[in-house]
Amino acid sequence: MVQINLPKKSEIKKGHYYKDKTGSKNIRKVNIYRWDPATGGNPRIDTYEVDMDNCPSKVLDLLNKIKNEIDPSIAYRRSCAHGVCGSCAMNMDGKNGLACTKPHSEIRGDINIYPLPHLKVLKDLIGDLSTLYKQYESVQPWLKTTKKISDTEHLQSKNDRSKLDGLYECIMCACCSTSCPSYWWNGDKYLGPAVLLQAYRWIIDSRDEDRKERLKKVADELKLYRCHTIMNCTNACPKGLNPAKAIASIKKMLATS
Amino acid sequence: MNNNPLSPHIQIYNWHISSLVSISHRITGVINTLALSLICFWVWILLFGNESYEIVFNFFNSFVGKFFIIGFIWSYSFQILSEIRHWFWDLGYGFELKTSKITGVLVILGSIVITVVLYSTRGVLF
Repeated sequence: MVQINLPKKSEIKKGHYYKDKTGSKNIRKVNIYRWDPATGGNPRIDTYEVDMDNCPSKVLDLLNKIKNEIDPSIAYRRSCAHGVCGSCAMNMDGKNGLACTKPHSEIRGDINIYPLPHLKVLKDLIGDLSTLYKQYESVQPWLKTTKKISDTEHLQSKNDRSKLDGLYECIMCACCSTSCPSYWWNGDKYLGPAVLLQAYRWIIDSRDEDRKERLKKVADELKLYRCHTIMNCTNACPKGLNPAKAIASIKKMLATS
Repeated sequence: MNNNPLSPHIQIYNWHISSLVSISHRITGVINTLALSLICFWVWILLFGNESYEIVFNFFNSFVGKFFIIGFIWSYSFQILSEIRHWFWDLGYGFELKTSKITGVLVILGSIVITVVLYSTRGVLF
């Protein structure tokens, strides 16, 4: 259901203001979404003044600096810091992306950091992705074959292998799915760009023998056709992939099969 | 989980050309449906002769009427151009970020150009 306004208890209040203590002349204001399950209440925006002269280039560096030097209570996910694990996906400057690959110099004015949109917040910048993972499981993202298990590899031609390019690189960071208005309004039924891209990755794999069943399973008014080609997913993908095109390819396969 | 807040979505998310064209496609779709009903009503009212024709004539020549007409022309041209964009998508073309941005801008500019051309040539071409 389309619900433009946030529920009452999700409305964002003004929070604390952390003034700069270093005396630096190169200061930027960083506004961060905060919510703590221990205290409850409404979420708030805390503002931090950060000394940019001693801060490395990425938004994740900025968050680490705040956590290390100003406010250790702030919570966010991060792991590899090289755009490979997908943990630090969040909304920065009104757009989803990975904090570890997004340079803060690209952001003009104050730096606004929110969790990924339209998720239940677990704490601060950490959203609950369990629905997305369940949907991922529902497309059975593993190779299905009737062949007996052998000692050799499943061989694939160069051309067939190239069909997986632009799909296998997906790191499931959820930047695309949580940028999609259709997923916001129908996230419980619509699979969303991330999961559909993964579904297509197995549909198009020449080694997989379950293509027909996979297509049949995904051919659903809500699961697939809630995609209206808004293209927010492709705009958001930090790996430069194209979920919108993958979804269109599934639609085209269904229309022509 | 019931006490956990919902993270902000449309309130904070940036608009892109593609999302703007997408929502406009929907809105113009609704407008066009209403506009078609109005045009049917207009045709129907012609059956009642000169007097009722004049009411419609005067309405379309008023300021509000002209606004409606220009609005309808824009809404139709936008919908048609955007629909052509969707056809190409259905065939599998035009998904690259740059291409979709350019075609999105073309739809917006094209609809304005068509509106200006059609409205300024009314009475000449048709």
